[in-house]
Amino acid sequence: MSAVQAIPRISLLWLLVAQVLVIIPHLAHLPLWIVALWLVCAGWRVQIYRMRAQYPATWLKSGLTVGIVGGVYLSRGSLIGLDAGVVLLIAAFILKLVEMRSRRDALVLILLGFFAVVTVYLFDDRLTTVAFTLLPVTGLLAALIGLQQSPLQQSPWQPLRLAASLLAQALPLMLLLFLFFPRFGPLWSLPMPDQRGVTGLSDSMAPNDIAELSRSDALAFRASFEGAPPPRNQQYWRALTFDKFEGRRWSQSSEVRWTSAPSWTPAGEPIRYRIIMEASSKPWLFGIDLATTELERTRLMSDFRLERREPVDQKLVYRVTSWPQALREPTMVKPAIRRVLQLPADGNPRSRAWAQQLKDQYPDPQALVQAVLQHFNREPYFYTLRPPPVGENSIDDFLFDTRRGFCEHYAGATAFVLRAAGVPARVVTGYQGGELNVSGNYIQVRQFDAHAWVEYWREGTGWTSVDPTFQVAPQRIEQGLEQALAGEQSFLENSPLSLLRYRHIGWLNDLRMSWENLNYGWERWVLGYQQGTQLEVLQKWFGRLDSGDFVLALVGGGGAVLLLVALWLFKPWRRERDVHQRLYLRFERLLARHGVQRQPGEGARAFAQRAELALPAQLGHIRAFADAFEAQRYGGAPSAPDHLQCHLRALRRALPIRLLRRD
Amino acid sequence: MHTKLDACLDAVNQILLGKEPQVRLALTCLLARGHLLIEDLPGMGKTTLSHALANVLGLNFQRIQFTSDLLPGDILGTSVFDKDTGLFVFHPGPIFAELVLADEINRATPKSQSALLEAMEEGQVTIEGATRPLPEPFFVIATQNPVSQGGTFALPESQLDRFLMRLSLGYPAKAAEKALLLGEARREMLPRLDAVLSHEQLAALQAEVPKVRASDAVVDYVLRLVEATRTQPQFAWGLSPRASLALLAAARAWAFLAQRDYVIPEDVQAVLPSVVGHRLRERADPTGHGGGTLVQWLLREVPAL
Repeated sequence: MSAVQAIPRISLLWLLVAQVLVIIPHLAHLPLWIVALWLVCAGWRVQIYRMRAQYPATWLKSGLTVGIVGGVYLSRGSLIGLDAGVVLLIAAFILKLVEMRSRRDALVLILLGFFAVVTVYLFDDRLTTVAFTLLPVTGLLAALIGLQQSPLQQSPWQPLRLAASLLAQALPLMLLLFLFFPRFGPLWSLPMPDQRGVTGLSDSMAPNDIAELSRSDALAFRASFEGAPPPRNQQYWRALTFDKFEGRRWSQSSEVRWTSAPSWTPAGEPIRYRIIMEASSKPWLFGIDLATTELERTRLMSDFRLERREPVDQKLVYRVTSWPQALREPTMVKPAIRRVLQLPADGNPRSRAWAQQLKDQYPDPQALVQAVLQHFNREPYFYTLRPPPVGENSIDDFLFDTRRGFCEHYAGATAFVLRAAGVPARVVTGYQGGELNVSGNYIQVRQFDAHAWVEYWREGTGWTSVDPTFQVAPQRIEQGLEQALAGEQSFLENSPLSLLRYRHIGWLNDLRMSWENLNYGWERWVLGYQQGTQLEVLQKWFGRLDSGDFVLALVGGGGAVLLLVALWLFKPWRRERDVHQRLYLRFERLLARHGVQRQPGEGARAFAQRAELALPAQLGHIRAFADAFEAQRYGGAPSAPDHLQCHLRALRRALPIRLLRRD
Repeated sequence: MHTKLDACLDAVNQILLGKEPQVRLALTCLLARGHLLIEDLPGMGKTTLSHALANVLGLNFQRIQFTSDLLPGDILGTSVFDKDTGLFVFHPGPIFAELVLADEINRATPKSQSALLEAMEEGQVTIEGATRPLPEPFFVIATQNPVSQGGTFALPESQLDRFLMRLSLGYPAKAAEKALLLGEARREMLPRLDAVLSHEQLAALQAEVPKVRASDAVVDYVLRLVEATRTQPQFAWGLSPRASLALLAAARAWAFLAQRDYVIPEDVQAVLPSVVGHRLRERADPTGHGGGTLVQWLLREVPAL
């Protein structure tokens, strides 16, 4: 037997298993060589256990460390930041495996493993991932249990069973903490994982941009309504507007980017709902026109878009109140009007000529708009996800030659023609429609629901939305993209595995809906259970309380729980019986400080007799205490702890003061 | 009453010199209504102790020398046909005495040993269908020689368990032996010993013993001791409940003899070696005599408070 305690076989086994399970959810953002590193280290470790290999020498360990750090730097371009930090953590977690000699080392490794599990949540907080992380936690617990067991333990299942039952027992506590533990704001902000790869609306629009986006079935956001959701053809989820046209590309002018909300007047019935937004890495939020929210650090901008001060890097839950019939910006100053009439100096001559013709024909802007929409309706225009390419004069090409386009073509062309005809107009992008989950009463909006439409302005009535796509493909608005593209078969043609393609198979669709319901519940009730929601839930249960009351109640509740635990542990109702024992312990400690120490097998009387020999000067006091103790504890004399205490005090006074034990 | 007990101890100590602890334990055993096994070499005073105890306590004394041809009938008694009356008349055996010395009990066959041990346990004897009670008080002192093992039948553990205590007298101290050599022959002194206690007084004393108070704290200590023998790896087997009962009874009697009406852990410790020594075996050597070291371990390691 070596001096250090060896690591039991079972523990090592579970540690290896747990390590694989810890690494699996990280794989998506780890360089591949980490897997190779793990294989080498695990093999090495097993060989060490079989006594076929040595522990690594110091130079080798140093070399490996430097190599790993260099590798992380090469593959991540930095050693700082979440991404590189996690790679370093996992690498350390793996390297420690070969260096592990004693139980203490194994303990370090296991604790490191728990930490590595937690870091998974920074990258991925989906229900499936979180459920999966229960596996490495169980494995690590089993390794921890195996570490405490005899090295002769044979069955690896027993620690696993124990670990699983421990986890199950921890469940109620976990629920309690989840419900009641206060959600503090972050003490420091962590740079979140890079979200640049996220698909979504961008801050400019060229022909085909939204068509590209429509190939993705990624979730954009979910909206859950308090009452019945508005009809589908009114579900225009605004994101942002483009008021600057540069011949091909629509974008935001710098003025719009900075100025905040103009005047508007609420009218009609408001719609209230809650939006659970996926990370978009963009600052704008979604809502039906005209949307207001009480979310902090969020403003209504000059074009009635909702914008947060920082990009949405994580799931975001916010409440929205929408006023669909609100009167928006009935008056505008000249420069602002000029801005929404701006067009490039030249280009698209045919469109401009047509616009001029329309303007002459319809002096009233409303009639002119209707005429443009009628044009799309009557002429042979087609709605397609595969529009033919357009040339330098993109509007002309589309309007008069190809006549095939996706929503951005129609919206862009409409806005152009309106501006050319002197009607202030702009393009709005966002999402339209979405899939209603009936059992959950929420709407799921995916990237393929991305849409673009047009707003025009008139003195007095303000902004009015019109959708030219509706004239071409009313199915897109009333039923959705899949139906609108039914003839073309281009819906999600690049993702053959997407369940959304198989919505016509009843049971599969039901299954998908239930799964989405589950995910929705997870996001809404677990991930979305933040400070505000928590307070709301607690208020529902315990009546009105503000955050001060809440903290007070929490401290009180926590105190009460601790008190119960303490009561259960220390059992003060049993103290009365043991008061003699406690006093005797003090007597014992007092004498121990003076060099007389009781042996475990030594009775009170024998000890007192020995102490009397060692401290003859205090004989009387020692005997008095011992006799009183004996009489009360064994002789059936009435319990009188104060009497004992009295003797003890007398003895302490008689003894010289000494605080430390004399050896 | 206690003065009489002290007088008894003094009287026996006059005869058996330098063996005060053993005499005290022997009297403890008797007060606790248990039987005594003395394991020692020949000539160490086993018979003298038994005889002196019998005389001092006013008990009639019988000695049975166990040999390999001893039959149960020789211990219990037999019925003999009486020519004059034409009836079988029961002739009680030597066991019908108040203090019986079973000398060299391991020399007899297991059959005869069992006859004695059954009588000890039951307090009565059944011969030819008739149950005859043994006298009250009834006290057996058995002796065995631990050294010469040839032609002996060692008592099995189950039988050993029936003796409340096992004592070993050991060699006397030098001074005690000198006094023995200089003094009068013990055999002549014995008949002159007067009974200090009457039967009634002895019965009354024995009845007092169970009334000695054993507090929870002491019972917990006994339980800790027993628990240790059952759980610690060095013990071949643990103590039986009969052993824990015996331990508490002996501790009560010891406390009573010390003129205390309650038991303290030291009482338990005083009787522990003689009460459990013959009931314990080391796991490493289950047939040997490891009881002593195990008892020392118990005394040292089991928390007394």
